[in-house]
Amino acid sequence: MTEFVDACRQEWKRLGVPDPVANEMAADLDADLDEAQADGVAAEEVLGSSAFDPRSFAAEWATARGVVPAPAPVTTLVEDRHAEPDRNRRNRTLAVTAATAAIVLAFIGLALAVRHRGSVAVARVVRPFPKFFPPGVAKFPGPFVDHGGGHDFHGLGVLLFLAVVAGLIAAAVYWSRKVRTNH
Amino acid sequence: MVVAGRRGTELLRGVLDLCLLAVMQEGPAYGYEMTKRLRARGLSMVGEGSIYPLLARLERDGLVETYRAASNGGPPRKYYRASPAGQSALAAGVSDWRAARDSVDAVLDMEVKS
Repeated sequence: MTEFVDACRQEWKRLGVPDPVANEMAADLDADLDEAQADGVAAEEVLGSSAFDPRSFAAEWATARGVVPAPAPVTTLVEDRHAEPDRNRRNRTLAVTAATAAIVLAFIGLALAVRHRGSVAVARVVRPFPKFFPPGVAKFPGPFVDHGGGHDFHGLGVLLFLAVVAGLIAAAVYWSRKVRTNH
Repeated sequence: MVVAGRRGTELLRGVLDLCLLAVMQEGPAYGYEMTKRLRARGLSMVGEGSIYPLLARLERDGLVETYRAASNGGPPRKYYRASPAGQSALAAGVSDWRAARDSVDAVLDMEVKS
């Protein structure tokens, strides 16, 4: 038995190929390589580029025979066409979820803006930022600006609303261009 | 002419199954015998993947039938022949290949003339 066939047998054993199948493949390969050698033909002429990689060759052959599971499914063009609707469905679900979340955020922003209309915060400087910290005072003694409880919820709401609407418009433009390109 | 180089390998990869079904039309053959028939027509396997996994796929797809028989003075071999489904696949594949080849020829001829 050639070194190549021996390496294949080891790989088939490692992959759990049933002995009768492994024996059959090994016998066929051995007989072919013997005949090629007798004809003065290099193993590369029989095995192609696989002649340099017995493990991959053995795994590919066993997979093709269906005696070991495929390590990583390589989709053909036909299979890929079937997979395409699944991918599109996943993308669509993702897009709908993202759009719903964005719309909810926009409504929150709008609600904040409307509810706090006219309640623009008054920020009042209580004391200037100290040049040095007196002993016993923490480095960051707290805010130096007293908002007086008047957080600018109106501005925040408007900003949130505008940002989400701008994001939605940008996403819609991108999506429509992508759809047009695909068709 | 021996098909060589990367482009040759890529082109051959797409039609090697057809070539195998075609050489089986001469009569049932075992693996190495098919390699010899391909080489006799100028198709070298050097640089190309092996035919064994491809033959296994053809068998799984029902495009070839197999049986074991003693070869000339050698050990019993696994012989392959095209099944009726394989014959149909060959006819359809040859038609596809010729259509693709004609289209490519039309483009390449135009390029050569200009």
